[in-house]
Amino acid sequence: MKFTLSWLKDHLDTDKDLDTIVEKLTNIGLEIESVEDKSKTYSDFTVAEVLKAEKHPDADRLKVCTVKSINGTFQVVCGAPNARQGMKGIFAPENSFIPGTGVKLKKSKIRGVESCGMLVSEREMGISDEHEGIIEVASKYNLGEKFIEVFNLDDPVIEINITPNRGDCLSIRGIARDLAASGLGKLKENTLIKNIEGTFDSPVKWEKDFKDDEEYICPGVAGRYFKNVTNKESPAWLQQRLKAIGLRPISTLVDITNYITYDLGRPLHVYDADKINGNLKMRYAKAKENCLTLDEENRKCTTDMIVISDNKKLHGIGGVMGGLDSGCSLDTKNVFLEVALFDPISVTKTGRYLKLQSDARYRFERGIDPTSIEWGVQAATKMILDLCGGEVSNTVQTQVLKTKQKTINFDTNKIKSLGGVEVSKEKQKSILESLGFNVLEKNNTFNLIVPSFRPDIEGEADIVEEILRIYGFDKIPYINISDNNNKANVLSAELKSFYKIKRIIANTGYLEAVTWSFMDEKVAKLLSNNFIKIKNPISTDLNVMRPSNIPNLLTAINLNKSKMINSAKIFEVGPIFDHTLEDKQINVATGIGYGNILENNWNSENKDIDVFDIKSDLMQILKSLNTPIDNLNYELIDNKIFHPGKSSSLRIGQNIIANFGELNPILLKSLDISNSVVAFEIFTETLAQFQRKKDSTISAFDNNPFQAVERDFAFLLPKSVKANDIISKIKKINKKIINKVSIFDVYEGEKIKNDYKSIATRVLLQPLEKTFSDEEIEVISNQIIDTITTSFNATLRK
Amino acid sequence: MSLSVDTVDIKEKIKSCKTLQDVEVIRLEYLGKKGLIPSQMKLLGKLSIEQKKIKGQELNNLKTLIEEVINDQKILIENTNIEKKLKTENIDVTLPHSEEVKGKVHPISQTIFNIIEIFGNLNYSVEAGPDIESDFNNFSALNIPPHHPAREMQDTFYINSNNEEDNVLRTHTSPVQVRTMLKSKPPIKIIVPGRTYRSDSDSTHTPMFHQVEGLVVNNDATMADLKSTLILFLKEFFEIDNLKYRFRPSYFPFTEPSAEMDVAYTKKNDVLKIGEGDDWLEILGCGMVNPKVLENCNIDSTIYQGFAFGMGIERLSMLKYGITDMRGLFDLNVKWLDHYGFSPLDIKTRSEI
Repeated sequence: MKFTLSWLKDHLDTDKDLDTIVEKLTNIGLEIESVEDKSKTYSDFTVAEVLKAEKHPDADRLKVCTVKSINGTFQVVCGAPNARQGMKGIFAPENSFIPGTGVKLKKSKIRGVESCGMLVSEREMGISDEHEGIIEVASKYNLGEKFIEVFNLDDPVIEINITPNRGDCLSIRGIARDLAASGLGKLKENTLIKNIEGTFDSPVKWEKDFKDDEEYICPGVAGRYFKNVTNKESPAWLQQRLKAIGLRPISTLVDITNYITYDLGRPLHVYDADKINGNLKMRYAKAKENCLTLDEENRKCTTDMIVISDNKKLHGIGGVMGGLDSGCSLDTKNVFLEVALFDPISVTKTGRYLKLQSDARYRFERGIDPTSIEWGVQAATKMILDLCGGEVSNTVQTQVLKTKQKTINFDTNKIKSLGGVEVSKEKQKSILESLGFNVLEKNNTFNLIVPSFRPDIEGEADIVEEILRIYGFDKIPYINISDNNNKANVLSAELKSFYKIKRIIANTGYLEAVTWSFMDEKVAKLLSNNFIKIKNPISTDLNVMRPSNIPNLLTAINLNKSKMINSAKIFEVGPIFDHTLEDKQINVATGIGYGNILENNWNSENKDIDVFDIKSDLMQILKSLNTPIDNLNYELIDNKIFHPGKSSSLRIGQNIIANFGELNPILLKSLDISNSVVAFEIFTETLAQFQRKKDSTISAFDNNPFQAVERDFAFLLPKSVKANDIISKIKKINKKIINKVSIFDVYEGEKIKNDYKSIATRVLLQPLEKTFSDEEIEVISNQIIDTITTSFNATLRK
Repeated sequence: MSLSVDTVDIKEKIKSCKTLQDVEVIRLEYLGKKGLIPSQMKLLGKLSIEQKKIKGQELNNLKTLIEEVINDQKILIENTNIEKKLKTENIDVTLPHSEEVKGKVHPISQTIFNIIEIFGNLNYSVEAGPDIESDFNNFSALNIPPHHPAREMQDTFYINSNNEEDNVLRTHTSPVQVRTMLKSKPPIKIIVPGRTYRSDSDSTHTPMFHQVEGLVVNNDATMADLKSTLILFLKEFFEIDNLKYRFRPSYFPFTEPSAEMDVAYTKKNDVLKIGEGDDWLEILGCGMVNPKVLENCNIDSTIYQGFAFGMGIERLSMLKYGITDMRGLFDLNVKWLDHYGFSPLDIKTRSEI
């Protein structure tokens, strides 16, 4: 919502300066978007006279002028063809900032002649594109008169953001009312609202045609017929005001409707009465009806749109835009006026469907004072007669649906109990009255009648807001908010594992990334059949909810190649989506690794990150979150993301805790990735069960004094036997004594038979009550050998 | 019988040894099985008790002395040998070390950790909820009527779904407030960080972003509590004690009264300085929970009241860490992630440990 300071002062009697008004507007909830005060930009430029204009000695097109300004006489070199002796123009002195070019003016020599200051063109002043010559001003202006006053640019333009609840402040009068309530002045009488009697009966009548239960769609419409009017260019003051707020003046009649829209927040429409056949009717559009609107578009109407029609065709779409054919032109002699009320939701739907925004729609959507049907006619009548002459008919109107007066019983203690600040009853009352409320005081209760222009006010909370915003939100005190009563856990176990895992993965050498929850359907199809499509995606390559984090992370590989970054460990913790999941999503910590992470160093092993590197990272991460990794069960992964033979799921109890392995080369190929990539996925919610441990639950340290013993066993086994099965079989023999089983060598190759491998294990034996005897060690060793050889069809290598 | 040994002489002999072998020869001479000391010991049996005592003492002393000197000489020879060897051992320690790969925590996560820490100290609990929400939780319960502009297709993402129970990509984290109110009784004191979605994409908007919202519902929370909570938060978050702020009226369908908070800033040479100056940056929206919202969530608005607030995490991150390009936050530029990321050990607690 834009307006100028002088326009505001039409409604507000105030001696406050611009800065005070601007600050107050924001403080009462009418947030300033911008303030354009040209008086500062143009303060240096004044009217000056050209005393002499002679040809430049060294340039045919240049003149050397002697310019007299209020501050003295200067020599100015000027190239304008219209620069001549005796003319008056606008002078820019040395060191002034030229708004149109953005340059600070400096004294200079032009072809050897000194030039101090400049006579400016309209383009240099930034007010038009005119640059043929310098600005000429009429001789009536005196030396030193300010440029902005000569050009009427001295009226500051203020733009404010009106929140959707404040339709009443989409008018300058509404803004003035709020400012007056806040103590910045007095609301003046509205001079436009005056009853002017008609002199004849209107030949055009207003009708409406809605079912009884749909009367609210168009609660009423009124109008008047004006005959023998003169439509011409609007007077300068009206044009200037409209231009200042960014509207294009068209003709007096049209300008009047725009003016009243902004001045009083009351949209109007004027029809060229000679182009109407019979009466005008408000009704729903019929199927397949079209309306040619003022913006010269032929609009297809739907049957839930309000339209205005005569006997022959449509002349407008209710609350949104008028029709082209009956619009007023400079030839218009007779005019018919529309002052209507429409249902906000209906106007919103119509405007949305037509993708058509207008000043009228904007106001109807936010609610219009239902009493404006009367005073709107009055204001329009006064302006049309004043500016276009002619005669006016009696008012014609349909039945107008009565709106009920809204009343609220307000407990004055609410200001303290909800607002947390003390405001006296007298102050509360005076604020409400100045905002247009009718206040009847009974003890600590106000019986309030809500003003008709405030449809947003619904209950006590709204009244608290009204009082406080005028009283000042800045007066709400800063208090002590310490709270010792509520010592709940900050994070649940689920959320703790969700957040904590980020630090832990980063600590394992991974860079955290945040990527879209979306991805390309083409890629999603490679991974899952249960992905979720977005109805209205932002772009076609972000049109489904990601069923995995991995493809998004994989885009890093090709993206960073140009920077010669050919290896990385990257992770993201966030949701993946699937139709079959509860809540359709699950949180996953996903990490990928590729390339030679340690880069090329003379001292490090020169190899790419592999399955066992990422497995080691994964186990470290799981262990840091208290996962009992010795209890993990390995299971085949059943998806298209991982390499089927070089990956595994890890399960504890019912839950898959994590997946890891090499990524499926088919997936990589389809994403144009040529190197191999390893990855893990951790389902963070499954780790919640391990997060509840408090420090105090650590078991006592077992300071066993007896000498531990190590024994090595190498087995020859079929290739299909899993190392983890060997380890857990050995451990199971005696969990108390067998403390650790490690695998220190794996061999497959020529020295042993086909389809077999050799695995060398080292077992750490810890006696419990006394040092082992040779016999005891022998017994356990034999147990280990027997178990493995019989369980896995293995033989002991000697 | 007397022992004709000159201890000074023996010491000299041992100390003149240059190798461990030489020392061994001397050791055998005196201490070996057939050496001087053991053979003298054997003769002790023939002496009187008195004599045995004196002589035995003498021999033992001598033995100890020789042992000590031999041991010292051995260590001396060994160390000399090592020193000789060290002089030949040289490596180029200026060769580059192999660099450990350091991981980083994303600035959005670091900001969330920071926010959780501050509100955690004020005894708030953290809640979370799904990204795909019902129309009721995202809009209706929050008093956003069906014709509200926010429901338009250009603002809200919808997913293909058979029902209205789960077809909206949440446009704010407020639906978690609704879920919390529906499942638990006041007092409620929560914050909700999370992913949110709006169909908007330009230099300052991304289709996915993060929000944190707060909700307090009890018998007596007022706007003074709300305002004070937020001032305290902003001061702690930006680590500015005399932060210049503005608390001004605004409008949201789910709060009444509603407010927004701005912080002052100055911009010099493209660097933003928060907390002082004459320009204002909008930083959060808030208000007293609209009684209609409480009723929609089965909470008696004649007994309970409360406040809510919400802010954009990207904006907070960018302001706090001086990040100028919002899209960088969602990029996979490894250099960017490393540059703006935080050491996982950079944990923001009051003690800064």
